[in-house]
Amino acid sequence: MRKLLFALLLASPTLTFAQGSQVNTQGIRALGMSGAGSALFVDETSIFYNPGALVKSANNAISVGASAVMYRSAFQEINSNVQHNTKFQISPPFSIFASFGPKNSWWKAGIGVYTPFGGAVDWGTEWPGRFELNHLALRAIYIQPTLSFKLTENFGIGGGFVYNIGTVDLSRSIPVFDQNGNPGRAELSGMGTGMGFNIGAHYHLEDEFAISLSYRSHVRTKLEDGDAEFTVPAAVAASFPSTKFSAELPLPSSFNIGISLPLNEKLDLAGDATFIGYSIYKKLVFDYEDNTPVLADTEQTKKYENALSGKVGLNYTANDKLALRTGIGYVYTPVRSQYVYAETPDNNRIMGSVGFTYTLSDKFDLSGAYTFQRIMERTTTNVETRMSGTYKTNIHAPGISLTYKW
Amino acid sequence: MKTFQKNIKLYLGIATMAVFAASCKPEISREFAPATQNVDFSKYIAVGNSLTAGFADGGLYLEGQQVAFPNLIAEKMKTHGGGEFATPFFSEAQSNGSGYIRLKALENGRPVTESVTDKLAYTAAGVLAKYTGEINNFGIPGMRLDHSGVGLVSAGNMYFSRLLPDGEVGRKSYQEFVGNRDHTFFSFWLGNNDVLGYATNGAVNDSPTGTTVLTAVNTFRAVYTQFITQLTAKGQKGVVATIPDVTAIPFFTTVTRRALLDAASAAAGTTINDLYIATKTGPRAATDNDMFVLPFSSLASTLLGKPNAGMIPYGFHPLNPIEDKYVLDIQEASAIKTHITDLNNVIKDIANQKNLAVADANSLLTRLKTGMIFNGIGVSSAFISGNAFSLDGIHLTPMGNAIMANLVIDSINAKYGTKLEKVDISNYRGVKMP
Repeated sequence: MRKLLFALLLASPTLTFAQGSQVNTQGIRALGMSGAGSALFVDETSIFYNPGALVKSANNAISVGASAVMYRSAFQEINSNVQHNTKFQISPPFSIFASFGPKNSWWKAGIGVYTPFGGAVDWGTEWPGRFELNHLALRAIYIQPTLSFKLTENFGIGGGFVYNIGTVDLSRSIPVFDQNGNPGRAELSGMGTGMGFNIGAHYHLEDEFAISLSYRSHVRTKLEDGDAEFTVPAAVAASFPSTKFSAELPLPSSFNIGISLPLNEKLDLAGDATFIGYSIYKKLVFDYEDNTPVLADTEQTKKYENALSGKVGLNYTANDKLALRTGIGYVYTPVRSQYVYAETPDNNRIMGSVGFTYTLSDKFDLSGAYTFQRIMERTTTNVETRMSGTYKTNIHAPGISLTYKW
Repeated sequence: MKTFQKNIKLYLGIATMAVFAASCKPEISREFAPATQNVDFSKYIAVGNSLTAGFADGGLYLEGQQVAFPNLIAEKMKTHGGGEFATPFFSEAQSNGSGYIRLKALENGRPVTESVTDKLAYTAAGVLAKYTGEINNFGIPGMRLDHSGVGLVSAGNMYFSRLLPDGEVGRKSYQEFVGNRDHTFFSFWLGNNDVLGYATNGAVNDSPTGTTVLTAVNTFRAVYTQFITQLTAKGQKGVVATIPDVTAIPFFTTVTRRALLDAASAAAGTTINDLYIATKTGPRAATDNDMFVLPFSSLASTLLGKPNAGMIPYGFHPLNPIEDKYVLDIQEASAIKTHITDLNNVIKDIANQKNLAVADANSLLTRLKTGMIFNGIGVSSAFISGNAFSLDGIHLTPMGNAIMANLVIDSINAKYGTKLEKVDISNYRGVKMP
């Protein structure tokens, strides 16, 4: 009789991706200048910043870098004075770059393994947005074999093929309540792959002025056979079967212009402007293998806008062993106000950095950098979850890398 | 190398500072606080019926009392000079109070409920253990506005008599009971039962104790004015709430004609196309606009199709229609809706005259009918799955109470320029499931 009386509301969890939270820590040298320096640094990290510059590096080298991105967000619901914070945690982006080829030749090859997108945010299960997100950990690892050619002594071009492996792991509360009044939980995890490319051109005048143009294509990462697990009261377990899901995540393209010029014998100025093609991220479609009346496929609107960032930095050669650097940057957010989700409480951000490279020996360089980013306070009402409140985020990211040259 | 060793200390120092800095959380600068306050929350009292008392799942029990919307509001008043808010709680040992229903199982999606019968507060049949302490939450389940001045009523209401010394039971009216409490602020939500009693009985007034009467507008205006005048005698401020459209609650919207026909057809093994209902103007075939009361869902399987003395099956023929009390037909529903509008106009009128805040529960419930989203939670007036209504289909879940509390808080803030903080809805549950 009451069979038809009972219909749960649609409660399909969707994956959410921390796209806007991009923190570029691929090259520790550039990180010390807030990401400026694609024209200035001609070394193995050019595989990421500009494959066209790689061929100009004097040596072959391998460098290994890692940074500790500490992403800390705060949320305060509208008409409330209670502030909620994400848990303190460190996500460790890493990068490995290696270049090979004959010295002073017309070509050079290289390979880079790096993490251009990624982040971890853990709001926990006790905050007002728990039904939107508990935690999210996302990582995209790009593997990029690269070739670089010298067209003239001053002009290099290059390109690389990008293979992406992305992993994601998230949880959120779902509004079905057990005998103790505790909500249910959905946990989703998966892995996907995608492909793209990276090309660039680099031109310099003798020890004076250099210009860098580079383009990284978008990468559509397809997640297949992700695992969806639900913790719900037994009475509704049949409506929430453990199942598989697939989804597609477009990672944006970017176009970068960089310049560098010496201010005096010891001081170089570098500036970079990046246009990021985030408008590719229009929606997130989610396909569950087993659908129930409650667990339906979903389509979540993202409507990202294209974004722009600008960075300038100084590189000071203190002596033949030590270089010191600093930089500042500004990033316009791709996320429209009404589409701000807890996984990416994004807004325009400012950043400042310091860094150094110390020459340990003929063979070894050690570089360190520290960057601080502030995502500006933003008060929003999300169009889908109707969550209304203010977000603010600080990001601290110290990083270190070691280079071996030969 | 020496320079580096010297410098490495510096770099380590920077790194240490970095870790220290990272442990510092970002601080949001926005503060939600009043500039000045011209309202005194030091003694808030809540006047009302079951909704004010925290009644849920067909009973009054401790967990429901603790999350009654006035209690949630009183908690938020503490930052604005609010004092202690005493509630006639049932003791831990008798925490299940009057008893209530809970969900035992979902059999093929069909909810099966059972009564909770342990830790009850009865001292005899229909008599609850006395409560003698302070009271700020005066919510009395079943209280009607038109009964609020009648002393006899307390004898027939175990939730009321529980709060009175024996000598006053059957003598003291609700208005007298609430009076002389030296309150500084009040919330007032009465009037629902003046309509609901009639509506839940299928718009049939058959109760000898006057609980199924539809209170006339003139009576309503007179008693409402009298009660509010008493509560504002010393210039106290307060908030009143409107009467929800009763047709917006799951008690009436859950059992549909289609569901009944499907079930009856399945039971009979043949397709049954029409259900016949008794109306004020005679029997007729039911339409999808007629509403069946929630309890009929469990009665239907035994009643529907049962032949009477003339061998005419119940509900399937105009000569043996479904009784009027089980059906709020479209004409009745529409008349009740109009009546509620009239009563709400009285409420708003008097609130204006007395310069009180108005929490428009009617408008909120109407929006819940189509569904709303709060912090990613879908909330609607759908039975069980809608999260807002408890298993009786009339009273609110803890989440429903939190939503109501925010409505009242918003109206107080708007009227008096206060900055009472909102209740975090995500902390409160919907219906518990096994």
